[in-house]
Amino acid sequence: MNGCEDKIASIELWLDGELSGAESESLRVHMAACAGCSEARRRLEKLQSTLTGVLLSEAQRVDFMPFWRAVQLRVNEKRPWYQDALDWMRGVLPASRLAWVVPAVIVLLLAGVSLESYWRGGAGRNAFATVESIDAYGRNVALLREYDTKTTVIWLYQDQEGENEAAEESAPSGPAF
Amino acid sequence: MKLLKKAPLRVLLFSLLSMLAVAVTGTAQKQPQNVEVRIRAILASNQSDEFDASLKGLEKQLRVLKYRSYRLLNDESQNIPRNGNKVFEIPGGRSLMVAPQEFQDNRIALLVRLTGGQKPLLDTTVRIANKGNFILGGPPHEGGVLVLSISAAMQ
Repeated sequence: MNGCEDKIASIELWLDGELSGAESESLRVHMAACAGCSEARRRLEKLQSTLTGVLLSEAQRVDFMPFWRAVQLRVNEKRPWYQDALDWMRGVLPASRLAWVVPAVIVLLLAGVSLESYWRGGAGRNAFATVESIDAYGRNVALLREYDTKTTVIWLYQDQEGENEAAEESAPSGPAF
Repeated sequence: MKLLKKAPLRVLLFSLLSMLAVAVTGTAQKQPQNVEVRIRAILASNQSDEFDASLKGLEKQLRVLKYRSYRLLNDESQNIPRNGNKVFEIPGGRSLMVAPQEFQDNRIALLVRLTGGQKPLLDTTVRIANKGNFILGGPPHEGGVLVLSISAAMQ
């Protein structure tokens, strides 16, 4: 067996049918001439035979029917719609395309937000104005908010007495709002 | 540059640039440098049923005041820098000083001061939507009353 340690692995491969024709022939010639390797072959064949026997006898006791039934159930099972949708998506949008779609969607969303903001600015034409402070220096002031047109009106009632510039003009009454 | 030929890296770069552009644009929108203020001086009276065609865009708002006649006397726009102010000449020897105060949530706070000759008539601070307006009226003028439409738009 001296110098034959590396042959043991080859014998295992040979028993598993994993050696080529030339390698098998070379190994067979060696085992015919080498008592150690021949003995190793015999032991490995016996081990393999024992293991096969045990596995076969145990396998006969195992009930495989539930397993096959479960397999059949899985095969016949109707796939949920989202699985089909995902498969369809994978077909239409492979990973390389999806990598572009994600930023494109982000850009579109941001564009939508910007457009909405711009639109709000335009629509602000009719948005209510809010009066934060007002000082009419003692004159009367009316504040009107008209909801239909969203109009804010500050109306200054000018007192004619002492108002030189107004005294020259006829004083109209205030609006009827 | 060889790295840029790889799609994922290009996508990442594209995304980062997009986000940067949006961030810069957003910041710029929040910090306008100028405000365009437009003052339309209108004579409202009950002397006729005339409605000036150039006031078509303001018709619904003006009808709130219940006068029969509306005529545009003056239409003036000025760009007012941030933290600055401008004076508008108003018919009847009056003037209107407008100073943008603050920009927040797409709205502009305007300080408005109406004076007649040297006398202050009204001081008010009004917050209006960007491109929005409000009406200031009441001073008598030529047998009617003066109505001012004050609008502002961020630049």
